[in-house]
Amino acid sequence: MRELRAALWGVSAFSLGYLLPGTLRLPTLAYDPIARTVGFTAQVSGVAMRYYGDLLWACAAGLCAAAVVWTSRRPARPVAVLTGAALALVALDVAFYLSRLLAQV
Amino acid sequence: MTVLFEGGARALLLVHAVLGFTAVFATTHHAVSAFLATRGRSVQRQLQRFGWMASASIVAQALFGLALYPVYRVRVRFADLERSAPAVVQLFDLKEHLSALALALVLGASFAGRALQPDAPAAESRAVAALSGCGAALVWAAALIGLYVTARHPVGTP
Repeated sequence: MRELRAALWGVSAFSLGYLLPGTLRLPTLAYDPIARTVGFTAQVSGVAMRYYGDLLWACAAGLCAAAVVWTSRRPARPVAVLTGAALALVALDVAFYLSRLLAQV
Repeated sequence: MTVLFEGGARALLLVHAVLGFTAVFATTHHAVSAFLATRGRSVQRQLQRFGWMASASIVAQALFGLALYPVYRVRVRFADLERSAPAVVQLFDLKEHLSALALALVLGASFAGRALQPDAPAAESRAVAALSGCGAALVWAAALIGLYVTARHPVGTP
């Protein structure tokens, strides 16, 4: 089923695209709510926030991966493998953010 | 100094909460329907109906949450919680991340569930159920953390 494979690749790419920009401090859109300015930077400090930018990275990665798989004519991988990979990447994200919470408490 | 959407923060929070409850129930129903599909039950109409409801509610809820975020950041997080309850700040950060991952899972499960046929292979229906179940679990977690943080200090209050 093409829809399922596109969804699984999309979820996998979203998980990676969400985790990597923040952890590797890649440049992203940052919004300063006090100055009301938007910038493209890797260094975010004070009240400025990179959440919007990281979410945009993740959405772009997920949509691109889903679109590539949707249009691809290559032989499909087994659904069970794709499902395991997608859920493992989501679990990796959850474990990473949970570990940050537990390290602070 | 005013923050974006600060004047309407309370109204935005109410709409965000209502959409959050809608997302919780729609994603839960979708997950239950997807699990029933793995047992061989014919639930295509439920998967389509709850798929649209779950997708629409979680996207709308996310947009309202993103609109509220600058007010939370300045008036709640930096003005209060960072000094009085730093653990709650970290908890809210976790909620943001869980919400983002839930968004991808729920949209993926809804998109795939829409096309799931009654005679689909077991691996496919199990994959949709796994995506949908994990998405619903993350939505529940995000909703409960959101309620807890809001109980500590809602946006729109001094």
